[in-house]
Amino acid sequence: MEATTATASATHLLSVLIWLPAIAGLFILFLPRQSPGLLRAVGLGVGLIEFGKSLQLLIGSDYARGFRFVENAEWIPSMGIRYHLGIDGLSLWMVVLTTFLTPLVLHVSLGSIKARQKEYVAAMLILQSAMIGAFCALDMFLFYVFWELMLIPMFLIIGIFGGANRVYAAVKFFIYTFAGSIFMLIALVYMAVQFRALDAAHRYSFDYFDLMRLGFPRNTEILLFLAFAIAFAIKVPMFPLHTWLPDAHTEAPTGGSMILAAVMLKLGTYGFMRFAMPFFPGASHMIGPTIAGLSCAGILYGAGVAWRQRDFKKLIAYSSVSHMGFVMLGIISRTPQGATGAVLQSINHGVSTGALFLLVGVIYDRRHTRELSEFGGLAKVMPWYAFFFVLVTMSSIGLPFTNGFVGEFLIITGTFTAELLRIPYHVDRASGPAFVGLGPMFAAFAALGVLFGAIYMLEAVQKVFFGPLSNRKNRKLQDLNSRELTGLIPLAILILWIGLRPQDITKSIEPDVQSWIDQYEQKRQVVTRPGSTAPYLLSESDLRPPRRRAPSPAAH
Amino acid sequence: MKDMLLYLLPIVILAVGGFSLMLVDAFQKEEGGLAIPTAMLHFASGAACLALWNYAGSPADLARAASAFNGWLAFDRTTLFLDLIIALGGGLASLLAGSYLNEHKLERGEFYTLITFASAGCMMLAGATDLIMVFIGLETMSLGVYAMTAFRRTNARSQEGALKYFLLGSFAAALLLYGSALLYGMTGHTDLAGIRAALAAPLDVPGLAAQEGGALALSVQQTVRDRVVILAMVLVIAGLAFKIGAVPFHMWVPDAYEGAPTPATAYMAVTVKAAAFGAMLRVLVGVFGDTTGAASLAGGWPGLLAWLAVASMVIGNLVALSQSSIKRMLAYSSIAHGGYILAAFVVTPRAELLPGGEGTVGQSAAASVLFYLLAYAVSNIGAFGALMLAGSRGKEAVSYDDVAGLGKRHPAVALALSFFILSLAGIPPMVGFFAKYNVIRSALEANYTWLAIALMVNSAIGVYYYLRVLVKMYMHDPAPGATRAEPMVSPGIWLTLIFTAVLVLVMGAMPQTFFGYALEAVKLAVAPVAAAATP
Repeated sequence: MEATTATASATHLLSVLIWLPAIAGLFILFLPRQSPGLLRAVGLGVGLIEFGKSLQLLIGSDYARGFRFVENAEWIPSMGIRYHLGIDGLSLWMVVLTTFLTPLVLHVSLGSIKARQKEYVAAMLILQSAMIGAFCALDMFLFYVFWELMLIPMFLIIGIFGGANRVYAAVKFFIYTFAGSIFMLIALVYMAVQFRALDAAHRYSFDYFDLMRLGFPRNTEILLFLAFAIAFAIKVPMFPLHTWLPDAHTEAPTGGSMILAAVMLKLGTYGFMRFAMPFFPGASHMIGPTIAGLSCAGILYGAGVAWRQRDFKKLIAYSSVSHMGFVMLGIISRTPQGATGAVLQSINHGVSTGALFLLVGVIYDRRHTRELSEFGGLAKVMPWYAFFFVLVTMSSIGLPFTNGFVGEFLIITGTFTAELLRIPYHVDRASGPAFVGLGPMFAAFAALGVLFGAIYMLEAVQKVFFGPLSNRKNRKLQDLNSRELTGLIPLAILILWIGLRPQDITKSIEPDVQSWIDQYEQKRQVVTRPGSTAPYLLSESDLRPPRRRAPSPAAH
Repeated sequence: MKDMLLYLLPIVILAVGGFSLMLVDAFQKEEGGLAIPTAMLHFASGAACLALWNYAGSPADLARAASAFNGWLAFDRTTLFLDLIIALGGGLASLLAGSYLNEHKLERGEFYTLITFASAGCMMLAGATDLIMVFIGLETMSLGVYAMTAFRRTNARSQEGALKYFLLGSFAAALLLYGSALLYGMTGHTDLAGIRAALAAPLDVPGLAAQEGGALALSVQQTVRDRVVILAMVLVIAGLAFKIGAVPFHMWVPDAYEGAPTPATAYMAVTVKAAAFGAMLRVLVGVFGDTTGAASLAGGWPGLLAWLAVASMVIGNLVALSQSSIKRMLAYSSIAHGGYILAAFVVTPRAELLPGGEGTVGQSAAASVLFYLLAYAVSNIGAFGALMLAGSRGKEAVSYDDVAGLGKRHPAVALALSFFILSLAGIPPMVGFFAKYNVIRSALEANYTWLAIALMVNSAIGVYYYLRVLVKMYMHDPAPGATRAEPMVSPGIWLTLIFTAVLVLVMGAMPQTFFGYALEAVKLAVAPVAAAATP
């Protein structure tokens, strides 16, 4: 987290990753519509190049700490807006997940989308640019631009290529997200204006590290935190702001659902972790138990509603609400295990929910229905399909040796031990307030959520794949074709790989999660000192965590 | 005299050009062909503004200009900036008109004469520093625009809109005139500087104070003067707010915008607003801007305008939501945009220095107003241009249903329309976003947090109706048997659209450059007031 450990990048790798798909997307708009092969080749080619390039980010990332591949240039100096990019352990895997899934999604979904492929590929690529940009941005204005830019391609993907009720879902998605982020914009501008008033050089700044130095009186801090939190909570989506998600997922085409669930939702949790909580540690600490409570409510509510669904895609959509509750809970626990688990679970959810949407898309393409009651005994006619489905289900419900287990386990342990999730119950003038820890309670709710998850997923699997093959329409169903198979195999490998060797991934997450917590605690101690009535600027030393490990020599 | 002609160059070009167009039109055998000359006149006038930019660089320049004009017109960079917007808007609108009027068999030379004279009137209004000049400019501008609104002679809606506009407009002009008369009566001046000076000094009647009870009589008279000045201020605000279509003076806007031929609609949405905001800047900030001095009673206008701003945003947006015609939606959205600009305008009299000491909060806000006007001009003319392009004679694009499926049938036209609609909606990379951003920043700098929140909430409402255009174009198919818009073939409109699109992108990519010009533009014009207000 410290600016000092950041090293500048000479290769502009992040810029390449961000802009290559956007440029390719605009280029595709000028390609002839009549040659779908060319469109597909360009789209996939760019996606694969991106993925290859993004693997370079992983070089030397083990145990590395601080921001890497930093690019910092002026963009709009008079408004204090910089072109500031960088990644660390919190965002690294999100970028790789994006670049990994986009070509995969393009590859798979171009099988079922036949009309207007040009627009589809272009929108996907532009969407990829915006998502990577949002993960890499270290300037709040830049972040906001990417954040809003994501909406338009997703809006088009849902609205043009979606199901029967697509327009309603697309507009709801757009308005919901846009309305949420306007308060964030006001908060950002307010912070930039305050920074100008306090800064020695009197300049506006939207830079992450500059805004990090701002401290606010308690009530202001709470309002600002809420302004950020609403924007991110809608994206996550946190209960009770989740109502756009089932509509968007149900109506979106398979590829849109995959990207939406696998990557876009992660921007919400990422935003909490990167921006909302470190900027406002005092407020987020105060509201922390509420957030944890809402996360648990989301876990249980999502699971409960998923159980009652008859539409397979809606079931997975509600399971997303439940799973994202876990991620939020891990973050708000502010323990190393919990937060590492949250980042890991973001990846896991991306992989397994992405795979689930893909699998549901497979049978939707064949039968044009997703009603659970229409199916039964599919394992007999589609053995490979059943195999993959069961494997992904195991990952989704967190069976040991799959990725889901590791993530959920870390989150629940982290929550159980979370000291910061506490509420004062008795204030003694002499010894200060006494607290009651709520961690174990939240952990118990979350564990209950795991149980529910197993119930609804297994019940659905049982209904669809086992039992008698009663519906005659299902007798002649084709098993997975090569296109679907090539899409699923990488996902299945990832599921098992993360399940067996999670340390390959967590070792590049843990150091930055640790310094994230250290810095959060440090800033929280400073800003919760009583006595400030106006915004003020914290010094470098205020923000420096007391115990500080030497950066490992492997740091890039 | 020589100086004066030089300073008047942008107006002179248009005025002389307007007369020549009239002659040409009278003597030429067939109609048409005047669009390009008219556009050239406007662009020449714009070029003159750019060329004169450096002649307005210092206070000495301004003083020389003021003495040349004898206090009738201001020659400063604010005027030049506004004139530039007017020239740009007029030029682009006449280019659009060239294709549109031809297509719809409305081509008659009067349109170009009218637009040229109206632009000259706009420029006079934007630069006026005397109440009489304000009125002359306002009327010159309005007469042209009324006639342009009624230009579709056989169309009942056009006639209705024009009549409404004319009647209500005359009424508003009368209010303005009444306010001016009251100000003249109270101060004995019609020039703004004189009024300001007279108001700043305490009332004094020679010899009265010495008489018995004279002090009391004086204080009564003082109170009466203060009250009358407030009344005058409200009347002046009403007259000018009518021109920008602020709620509650907005009744004419939808009918006039819908009835007018589309190029005229684009024209009045942009240039009339620019001119009226220019006049408001001079009159309100220039005369009543002082919130601490003797005119402090009348200094309450920012609060009044803040409510007008919120009312305009809310009513404009809410009514726009329920429109079925895109043109009418754009009319209501223009009311809302007027509200957004007013939100920045509210901050203009603030005289606190910005942290760091360069410029005041008020200057920055005035620059936001100018930037918004420019951004709105290019986005709006583009949007109306794209809407024009989307329809042809008999198959016009008016309602949402007309453009259903346009994205499939004519992707290029649909893309153009979406582009400008997104800029109006304020989606980040476009200039419309930066315009809104500047307004929010200005409001927050002056601690008008509630105004900033109102603005953003409204822009979220606005997104809904802007998106509907995209939804219709890309996600719906036309109902069987329904009328559908067929785009016209028109290189002229395409050229205009490409030009405005480039401007939207360039201004969005480097907003600081254009905001910098806007800041330059207000530095000398708004500063003296601010300086006077600092104790």
